[in-house]
Amino acid sequence: MIKKTFKIPDMTCSNCAMKLESLEDDLDGVKEISASYHRLEMVIEYDESKLTDEQIIMAVKKKGYQAIPV
Amino acid sequence: MIVTLGTVLVAIALMLVVFQPNTQSADSGTWGQLVVAFITGITTGGLSCLAVQGGLLASSLAHQIEQDYVGQAASKKQKISVRTNSAFPIFLFLVAKLVAYTLLGALLGWLGSYLTLSPMTRAMLLIAIGFFMIGNALRMFNVHPIFRYFSVEPPKFITRYIRRTAKGTDTATPLFLGALTVFIPCGVTQAMMATALGTGSIAMGAALMFAFVLGTSPVFFIIAYLTTELGSRLEKFFMRFVAVVLLILGFLTLDGGLNLLGSPLSFQNMTRSWFPSQSESTAAAESSQLSASAREGELTLNVENGGYFPTTLKAPADKSFTLNLVTDQTYSCARDFVIPALDYYELLPDTGTVQVNIPAQAKGSTLFFTCSMGMYTGQIVFE
Repeated sequence: MIKKTFKIPDMTCSNCAMKLESLEDDLDGVKEISASYHRLEMVIEYDESKLTDEQIIMAVKKKGYQAIPV
Repeated sequence: MIVTLGTVLVAIALMLVVFQPNTQSADSGTWGQLVVAFITGITTGGLSCLAVQGGLLASSLAHQIEQDYVGQAASKKQKISVRTNSAFPIFLFLVAKLVAYTLLGALLGWLGSYLTLSPMTRAMLLIAIGFFMIGNALRMFNVHPIFRYFSVEPPKFITRYIRRTAKGTDTATPLFLGALTVFIPCGVTQAMMATALGTGSIAMGAALMFAFVLGTSPVFFIIAYLTTELGSRLEKFFMRFVAVVLLILGFLTLDGGLNLLGSPLSFQNMTRSWFPSQSESTAAAESSQLSASAREGELTLNVENGGYFPTTLKAPADKSFTLNLVTDQTYSCARDFVIPALDYYELLPDTGTVQVNIPAQAKGSTLFFTCSMGMYTGQIVFE
């Protein structure tokens, strides 16, 4: 399991964070996602053998946001 | 028990909203506030929350239940109209949301009643609410990252719980989800919640939130029913419009608070000093003519449904006098008369005269007076 932080610059409200956290249910290999509108970032804890950065970025894009690895 | 209480509150709120009080028999300020809340809901409120409850909960809910009904229809080989069926759970969702927010409004109004013991406390609350609204508007304009902190982030365990609950497909789910939306209010809803707190009344807080959420309901229903991406598109288009409306509401609230503090810096008090209107000049001249009676120690202020007349009174300096507050079938908030500098507050009778003893004031000074909501204002200039 590793923990990575992504900047999400286009969040517009605290509920965008909730949308991003719903990726917990959508992505296989995710243990926990903590997104913050205040900091415009998303911290994701996941199994790197099951999930890649690119897959995370694509999943975030599907939700309507841009994810930039920190 | 809670459902019954909520239903009773909705009924009271509905009566307040539906039966438009005429200005002869009820508080026009109250009615005006409810109309503003409703219009805010139907315009900015519904749109600003689309990405939140409309986009996430209602649409996923509608989609989920639609799928469920499609499954049922297929298995039973029955011709069931999916559109008709999907409308009902959305309706349930909105009814539950309406009840929940009405209860929340009542709770906030009740809490506010403990905070509004004095006009000074109310003024501070109005100013805080005004700043909160303006901060949220500036956040929407993306002026500076600091304004993001004006948005309240719900605790993670709550958002996770709501998300997991949204996966259910039984008929209780939409009701439960609708009620849970109180935990994920959007920016405009939060501002309206702050206003409900400022009412300091259970009934008014409930009616205010009811009117607001009722206003948001048609937008929610349409978007949830269509379950398209229209929500996010509209959100982008209307976010600035929402911000402008919130900014205006914020400044109005802040101004009300400043009026209630008796501050010369409020918009009304400043503009009255800088640009006295024709009617006010005339009124001032009339009150100057009355200075004979003022010199005898009496001045009269007419407290009417539309405010105070004349708005500017002239009184002799260094001499105490009696101010006669005359009401004649006055039912608006102008009855709640406040002179902040003297710490004077009185709920006037709807018809009658109340005398206030005004102590001697220095030459050139001004005493501001206002209603308890900071809406209607006026001043006494000492010469």
